[in-house]
Amino acid sequence: AIWIYQFRLIVLGDSTVGKSCLLHRFTEGRFPGPLHCDPTVGVDFFSRLVEIEPGKRVKLQLWDTAGQERFRSITRSYYRNSVGGLLVFDITNRRSFEHVKDWLEEAKMHVQPFRIVFLLVGHKCDLVSQRQVTREEAEKLSSDCGMKYIETSAKDATNVEESFTILTRDIYELVKKGEISIQDGWDGVKSGFVPNVVHSSEEAVKPKRRCIC
Amino acid sequence: MAEGDGAGGLPGGTSWEDEEPVSPEGGGGLREAEPAALTRRRPETKPPGEPALVEEPPSPALTVSESMEPSQTGWGYWGSWGKSLLSTASATVATVGQGISNVIEKAETSLGIPSPSDISSEASDAAEGSQSPGESATHRINDGSSSPISGALGVLSTISTAVQSTGKSVITGGLDALEFIGKKTMDVIAEGDPGFKKTKGLMHRTSTLSQVLREAKEKEEQQTATEVTMATEKKAHYGLLFDEFQGLSHLEALEMLSRESESKVKSVLHALSGAESDALKMELEQLKEVFSLAEFCDDDEEEKKGDEEFTKDITELFSELRVSTRPDKLSAARRSAHEWIARLNAEPLKEEQRNEDAQQMGSSDAASDDKKSVEDIHAFAIRSLAELTAYSIELFHKTAALILHGQKQEMLAVDRAKALSQMTIVLCKELSSLSKDFTICLTTVGVKEKADVLNPLITGVFLEASNSASYIQDALQLLLPVLQISLIQTRTESSQQ
Repeated sequence: AIWIYQFRLIVLGDSTVGKSCLLHRFTEGRFPGPLHCDPTVGVDFFSRLVEIEPGKRVKLQLWDTAGQERFRSITRSYYRNSVGGLLVFDITNRRSFEHVKDWLEEAKMHVQPFRIVFLLVGHKCDLVSQRQVTREEAEKLSSDCGMKYIETSAKDATNVEESFTILTRDIYELVKKGEISIQDGWDGVKSGFVPNVVHSSEEAVKPKRRCIC
Repeated sequence: MAEGDGAGGLPGGTSWEDEEPVSPEGGGGLREAEPAALTRRRPETKPPGEPALVEEPPSPALTVSESMEPSQTGWGYWGSWGKSLLSTASATVATVGQGISNVIEKAETSLGIPSPSDISSEASDAAEGSQSPGESATHRINDGSSSPISGALGVLSTISTAVQSTGKSVITGGLDALEFIGKKTMDVIAEGDPGFKKTKGLMHRTSTLSQVLREAKEKEEQQTATEVTMATEKKAHYGLLFDEFQGLSHLEALEMLSRESESKVKSVLHALSGAESDALKMELEQLKEVFSLAEFCDDDEEEKKGDEEFTKDITELFSELRVSTRPDKLSAARRSAHEWIARLNAEPLKEEQRNEDAQQMGSSDAASDDKKSVEDIHAFAIRSLAELTAYSIELFHKTAALILHGQKQEMLAVDRAKALSQMTIVLCKELSSLSKDFTICLTTVGVKEKADVLNPLITGVFLEASNSASYIQDALQLLLPVLQISLIQTRTESSQQ
């Protein structure tokens, strides 16, 4: 369980689009099914390791937020410390798609001054016959907002792994390029622990660990 | 001891000695009747000049001799955790595993607490009196054998009964004394733990339980990461496991809600006129009293509860709260822990039979699968404690979120406070009995082990059980501002009608 970075990712979207199911599938490899469909209270937490390059792993801390309006004040406080987000809508629910822009707005308002990388996720793609949002319009929206788009299904495990990996890789590239950096007082990206040898880059990354207060 | 002295290389001697004559009453015990919260905060009585410069860390891992001798005695009151008001800080140090026995000893000698030998003799008296069915098994073994094992068993019975009964001897001193201990412990620990000291400078108001725990976890991670034996080591690292079960995240989330509520309560009180504010303060104080967990002292008789009892109790208490969340995860985790123990306990009886079977069938994997080493048991025990604690914290977090943002319920805050306090007691008792079961397993299975192998494992289980109980009690205290807000809301609603 050794990782080079830890990323905090937030999962957003309307109530019942399937955020928690997506996370259950990703972290536990199972689909909770209809018996476990209690709406999320406030926030829930998951974590998993992702291998982005052979031997290089990133630990993802995943914040599953409640879609319900009444918990909005809680979920808002989680934007700031996230480096990435999955913005989820349900392809069989037009309204959830229309709300994507609102979610983006809200996130932008609360994430400042930090940056957050989003991936647009069209969920429940197994329900082809009930589709209300075409792939084309979703792709258009995502490119307008500077995001990538992917369609997933937690039920039959389509693209679940991929969606998280894509987002993680994108963030990793930005971190490597120095466009996102580790900062004190911000938990979006943290460096992990590397066994045996401590590389000089890792040392440079956290210079203030031993301050005398 | 020597190590502790080294760490306490403060100018002008160590302050805990200086403060010794302070009586509990004088120590402000009465002013704040909310023990866990009090122990969590940094004691204000500390002279401000206390520097944060001592950086020499005590050796991270306890050596066997260090850990056993003092803790054998130290368990005397450390073991009173079931009702304990010991501080977060103590828990943290324990998590990191740094010089805790020294700390205990220091705290002990500086406090004039009943001497450890008194306590342990008391405890062994009690041990003779109350024999749980599980223990008779260990005693059977004890009768037939000699020194190395009886050494281990001696510790076990001392410890395990101390957990249940020594609490009394400490508690007779009253809550004040315990609060006093809490404070003292904090101070002494601050001296022995540079990591803690580092935070301490920043702390005062900003430090939180999760912060302290997170630091401890990160230290563990760093330590473990440098070891090649990572995979096996991790099994028994409480802090890492607690985080793996998302306990830390839920704790942080709960703290966030608690802080928000706290500042809201303050601003409400601020906006009220003198008389109104006093009236409200009175009501808020009542909530606080419910949270002081006084009942820990009362119903002390340890009736061995049936297995289903816990699930029933917790579920009932939860429905009393009237929040739309259920303790399913917690109950399931607890059930699987007990099933594991039951399977293990059933094994020795089958053993001879199995040996015959194995010979007949030549199936070696059956034996290797089922046969648990003491390390396995220890690892599972620590894992279970971390899991149960994390899920308990999660429940508290969810409860807070629902009290604040859930559907409105006709429910008095004070009734919820009662249910939550009761729940905390049930949870802590459960952790106590679970840890006892685990150590009985350890002694039974580890009958052939040397004491210096077995004893640290047993101590470890009790220590983490004690920590677990501290975390849960601290988490309960975090719910207080949340309930206060709920009380204020009900009040304003009724006055508007």
